[in-house]
Amino acid sequence: MPFNGKSGKFKAAIKEVEIGCGEKAIKLGGENVLPFYTFDGEIANAPKVGVMISDKGLQDEVEGVAAYYAGCETIADIAKKAAEMPGADFVALSLESADPNGDDASVESCCETVKAVVEAIDAPLAIIGTGNDEKDNELLVKAAEVAEGKNVLIMSAKEGTYKSVAMSGIQAYHHKVAAESAVDINLAKQLNVLISQLGIPVEDTVMHTGTATAGYGYEYVASTLDRIKAAALAQNDNMLQVPIVTPVASETYGVKETLSSEADAPEWGSRDARAINMEVVTAAADLASGSNAVILKHPASVATIKKMIDELM
Amino acid sequence: MAQITFKISESPDVVIHANKGDRLLDIARDANVAIDAPCSGNATCGKCKVKLVSGAVDSPKTQHITEEEYAAGWRLACVSKVLDEDLVIEVPDIASAYKSRMKVADLSSPEEVAIFEKIKSDIEGSGIALTNDMAMVELTMDAPSLDDTMPDNERLTWAIEAAVGAEKVVLPFTVVKKLPDVLREGNFSVKAIYKMAGSRCFVYDIYPAGENPRIVGLAIDIGTTTVSSVLIDMQTGEILAKGSAGNGQIRYGADVINRIVEQTKPGGVKKLQKAIIDDTLNPMIANMCRSIGIKPVQIYRMSLASNSTMNHLFMGVNADPLRMEPYIPTFFHLKNIYAKDLNLIVNPNADIIFAPNIGSYVGGDITAGTLASGIWNSEEFSVFIDLGTNGEIVFGNSDFLMSCACSAGPAFEGGDISCGMRATDGAIEAVTIDKETMEPTLSIIGDEGQQPIGLCGSGIIDIIAELFRCGIVNAKGQLVREGRRVKVDEDGMKSYIIAFKEDTGAVKDVEITEVDIDSFIRAKGAIYSGIITLVESLGFDMSIVDNVYVAGGIGSGINMKNAVRIGMLPDIPLEKYHYIGNSSLAGSYAMLLSNEAEDKVTELASSMTYLELSTHPGYMDSFVAACFIPHTDADLFPSVQNMED
Repeated sequence: MPFNGKSGKFKAAIKEVEIGCGEKAIKLGGENVLPFYTFDGEIANAPKVGVMISDKGLQDEVEGVAAYYAGCETIADIAKKAAEMPGADFVALSLESADPNGDDASVESCCETVKAVVEAIDAPLAIIGTGNDEKDNELLVKAAEVAEGKNVLIMSAKEGTYKSVAMSGIQAYHHKVAAESAVDINLAKQLNVLISQLGIPVEDTVMHTGTATAGYGYEYVASTLDRIKAAALAQNDNMLQVPIVTPVASETYGVKETLSSEADAPEWGSRDARAINMEVVTAAADLASGSNAVILKHPASVATIKKMIDELM
Repeated sequence: MAQITFKISESPDVVIHANKGDRLLDIARDANVAIDAPCSGNATCGKCKVKLVSGAVDSPKTQHITEEEYAAGWRLACVSKVLDEDLVIEVPDIASAYKSRMKVADLSSPEEVAIFEKIKSDIEGSGIALTNDMAMVELTMDAPSLDDTMPDNERLTWAIEAAVGAEKVVLPFTVVKKLPDVLREGNFSVKAIYKMAGSRCFVYDIYPAGENPRIVGLAIDIGTTTVSSVLIDMQTGEILAKGSAGNGQIRYGADVINRIVEQTKPGGVKKLQKAIIDDTLNPMIANMCRSIGIKPVQIYRMSLASNSTMNHLFMGVNADPLRMEPYIPTFFHLKNIYAKDLNLIVNPNADIIFAPNIGSYVGGDITAGTLASGIWNSEEFSVFIDLGTNGEIVFGNSDFLMSCACSAGPAFEGGDISCGMRATDGAIEAVTIDKETMEPTLSIIGDEGQQPIGLCGSGIIDIIAELFRCGIVNAKGQLVREGRRVKVDEDGMKSYIIAFKEDTGAVKDVEITEVDIDSFIRAKGAIYSGIITLVESLGFDMSIVDNVYVAGGIGSGINMKNAVRIGMLPDIPLEKYHYIGNSSLAGSYAMLLSNEAEDKVTELASSMTYLELSTHPGYMDSFVAACFIPHTDADLFPSVQNMED
């Protein structure tokens, strides 16, 4: 008896979300098969890779990152260089200087930065807040205003900020907003329900369902992503049919494997290589589990992940 | 050494001496002054507020006391330490109210009596004879003479053997002691109250033949929060008196875990036992007996339904293993326990019948309640839920029974809720809100003109359902509308003011905060996910369920529609829901009156399968999904989407 392959193509699909303007605009989502299951059906939009830059400049960066941006003096220079990075689809600007537990930079000065970046590049842009609800409630609202007309991705609307961030980001300034939850399928869905109850179409949102660095309880991340995709596609749960964007670098640069200097951990070898490894294994796992985009920092990681995507598509 | 005077409204002052450094809450406990302390004195619940009338104490201002309250003399008793000076302390009404004016499902209303009568006839209809092995016999003996010198006890024994066909007759000390007087008073004609066990006859009491004694039995339900009981005629089943009271152990903590912890302290076992028997049951029994003109020693049998912790503490048995893995009770089923083993004022020879436990967290209240619910007597699938401090759920039919317990926490009884209270005078038990103006309309327990003091469980269900219906809170329980009733404190926490202090004349607004709503959402999520997990563990879904029986004192004011609307109970047609009052007391009553019912409860307990939710894969997920109004999966609540009023 001949073998008849059964297609794993679903009737439901992930909604397509566009970020950026003009030629360089990217589309996330749109697929109706499991991640990289091109043998089951065509995947309209390949997963995308973003490059994270910080408004704090290049201090504390690992060797390979610092070397790539060598000669850049302003945030606009850095942004341009990031946009040109081979394999990059979009730029993600982290406004970490605004963190009240850190430099606590003013909303105004951050908005200057946003303005400079928006004017410098025509690549799609994601704007990442501080994670502090009180600050983000103001910061991300103002940043959305400054970036008006650029269709950026605002990251992130959380349970404590979704109302102001989603209302201003999407309703007032027509951007896209990521809804961030803490690695739980129900919490992810609950936030999407709350946002949709504001009258905001889920088509204008993506999800940031949380990640961990591979090796740091990562199994829970993988199963959460798996289950979200399964619920969206197999169970036609429209509140979960939203593309997933996962900031990887912000996690992987905070673990000891990346932070320890070569002097402190000589047996671990090159710090630059470790940073790339942590970033690549985490991003690869996120994409394989269902993430539609990852945000990385190291040019070598970006190139590697891009190659992986291209070869699997 | 300082002299402490507790002033309690409508009660005489209590004066006690204390040493510097003693905690006010401990002093109050020693003096038997009831101060509500659901958190067992950990300064977390803020319920043990007392007012300093004179003197000073060493007491930090906690988050539970506002500046104004602190200035007015309000302190938390659990963090207040005595200095060297004398004190006069006013104990507020809220604390003293619980003990005497507790509203429980205690057959005080015609609706409750009707529910009770229906349960009784349903049990009888299921083929269980409501009869027992206790009886009364009238005996006429020959009076002794110089030719007939048989002693009194042998004379009575012979007479009983002949009258009831017994081979062995047992006359306990209490009978022998009164024997010479009763025999002669009745001219050797007496009535004897006895029970037959095979050919053995045990005599409880004797009366001169001219008297008309009744065989009286006592059925009790000991809840973590409230205790209720009925005195019955063992021959007719008639209810002679009913009583209820707050569980005197309340001052040692609101939930079973806090009680067990308190019990593990030196002298704790005795203290907790005394709180339930001497301070709660005995006065209640004395009151009931007085109302029908009998003495407590004329109660010849009693039955008890209670959760596992309560029956351990009642017995004075160390309950600590109940809360420690692997959670093993000292007993499931107890036999041959008599009133004289405990300090009860009923007849010392009275048998105590226990509804058996089936696990640490599913106790005799549930096995007795299961009997009363009747779910074991039908092929239809039914769910029985007892909403108390713990939520226990039984699912099954005449072929099988599954049970589980979920820790809903004290939210249903007002614990963990800033303005929460038990269902006593001043508790808001029902609420509606105007969608346009956001103004509430309240229904308050108590006499006409009673001002609102706080919210009880049914009131909390109502207010959350109404806030959600009016779009004032979102599905996550956050307050999202603005208005004069929505307050934001300095930490950014929002609350909805149910009653302004200016309108009630109280020291504080009655409000519900986002934190309260969050606590309650967890409680309702635990109940809902418990029901669903239990039903789905057998591969069924809710559509198979024909009846849901909701029991518990907390349930008496419950609005089923609102309970479904907030996703506490599954969205099945409302007519499938039945409120069955205090099922534990009803079951206890049946076990007292009927030997067959007693055997049936034992049989049900041994055939019930216990599902441990905490180790059940998927329960946690189901719980998180249920912590949303009404549920993360809105498709599970189709009728809620269509409900408009």
